[in-house]
Amino acid sequence: MRDPYEVLGVSSSASDEEVKKAFRELARKYHPDNYVDNPLSDLAQEKMKEVNEAYETIVKSRSGGSYSSGYSSSSSSAYSNYSGSGYSAIRAAINSNNLAYAEQQLLGIRDRNAEWHFLMGSVMYRRGKLDQARSYYETACQKEPNNMEYRQALQYMQTGGGSYRPSHYSTGGGGMTTADCCSSLICADCLCECMGGDLIPCC
Amino acid sequence: MFGYIRPSRGELKVKHYEYYKTAYCGLCNTLRRRHGPAARFTVNYDFTFLVVLLSALGQDPSFEYKRCPASPVTKKCAVCETAVFDLVADQCVILYYHKLMDSVSDEAFPNSLVARLSAAALRRAYKRARAALPEYDKTVVQKLSELSALEGSNSPSLDDTADCFASILSASVSHYEDDELRRPLELLLYHIGRFIYLTDARDDLAIDYKKGSYNPLIYRFNLTGGELTDADADYLTATAGHSINLAASAFSLLPLKTGMEIIENVIYLGLPEVWAQVESGVFNKSEMNRHKENRSNN
Repeated sequence: MRDPYEVLGVSSSASDEEVKKAFRELARKYHPDNYVDNPLSDLAQEKMKEVNEAYETIVKSRSGGSYSSGYSSSSSSAYSNYSGSGYSAIRAAINSNNLAYAEQQLLGIRDRNAEWHFLMGSVMYRRGKLDQARSYYETACQKEPNNMEYRQALQYMQTGGGSYRPSHYSTGGGGMTTADCCSSLICADCLCECMGGDLIPCC
Repeated sequence: MFGYIRPSRGELKVKHYEYYKTAYCGLCNTLRRRHGPAARFTVNYDFTFLVVLLSALGQDPSFEYKRCPASPVTKKCAVCETAVFDLVADQCVILYYHKLMDSVSDEAFPNSLVARLSAAALRRAYKRARAALPEYDKTVVQKLSELSALEGSNSPSLDDTADCFASILSASVSHYEDDELRRPLELLLYHIGRFIYLTDARDDLAIDYKKGSYNPLIYRFNLTGGELTDADADYLTATAGHSINLAASAFSLLPLKTGMEIIENVIYLGLPEVWAQVESGVFNKSEMNRHKENRSNN
């Protein structure tokens, strides 16, 4: 196994707080929710496992005793529980990115129900054909309006696919940059001097 | 080339922006060395992005100072050329050449004449590049001809037309043997390619409609005027944004080193910014004018 500190991207002398923060950021990055139906979801799962193991190793070695378990990822495969009919082989093919086989099998089916459209959408999505995928998901939802799996897939398309965003790029600037800090201090100093005082003697 | 792949300069640290420029210079030098001085005019920031991305997977770069025709007095700092630079330079020449040949047939006089002369100047370079990368050239030719056929039949499919271009970009790395690198790279480049195609369609919609040229948006959204309805514009923004998000998901899985911040900035900030500018009609394609804009904004 790789050096756990290297996996989390912190130095071995980092504080517990820093280690935790690094772990949380990576867990947020590789969370399965960011890789729903993604052709790279298996790689993300591996990364998530590596990050979890690294964090547990560090915590265990530092505390030497019992510890509260790290982040546990929720549902592994998106398709584990849903299929009833003979679509399970096709679902398995899609999950392992065997898209050519999955598509060929689907095209051979004449009775095209909601599940057919949903799985076709899934094949299209993994191929990068997002517009067509959305269209298939819409049809699936029309045919079976109460199916949560299809509804969630459609919603995901409608919102443009949720994704991880690094914390230093989070929108709604609440943070201050060093430039803000400097200019605020200079302003405060000027105001102070106007009032007869002096906040920063050298300015 | 298209000019849509650019970082959000204001949010990029100076040292990273400087590295980005040295990569551009390195690419230009590679083009000159491998393909002669005429090939230099193919250098562009889209391929600079590609060379930064692929170089970030390798060793730390080294730098050298070189003379530059665009900078007659001071020497410019450039990244030392590597096998990655050679690869990207060859791909740049191949794609640029085919794009010129398309212009020869698609554009009217005098643009077609300019394209014809430029293609002639580039022909030897193209043949050399094609000899180095025969599979890549084959893919480019095949995908461009598929695209031509779709355009000729007024295809209403955003995905199929975008796929032709996106596949060309992801073909840049199809020879990478390591699955754990190749798969995320292919997905990242595919969706960046899809984004470029959609942005180009959005950018050119008004002109294409006026000239009667093909634009996938016209047929996809059944437009009767040269503009999208608000609902259609939102739909298009969602699908373009989705491609950016998929590119981001692939980026997270790549062990990038020097230059990582540039790629990160492009994906999370640059591309959305470009889309917003194209939508509101303020996007400026010309790199020269962009520098002037940046200077006046600072």
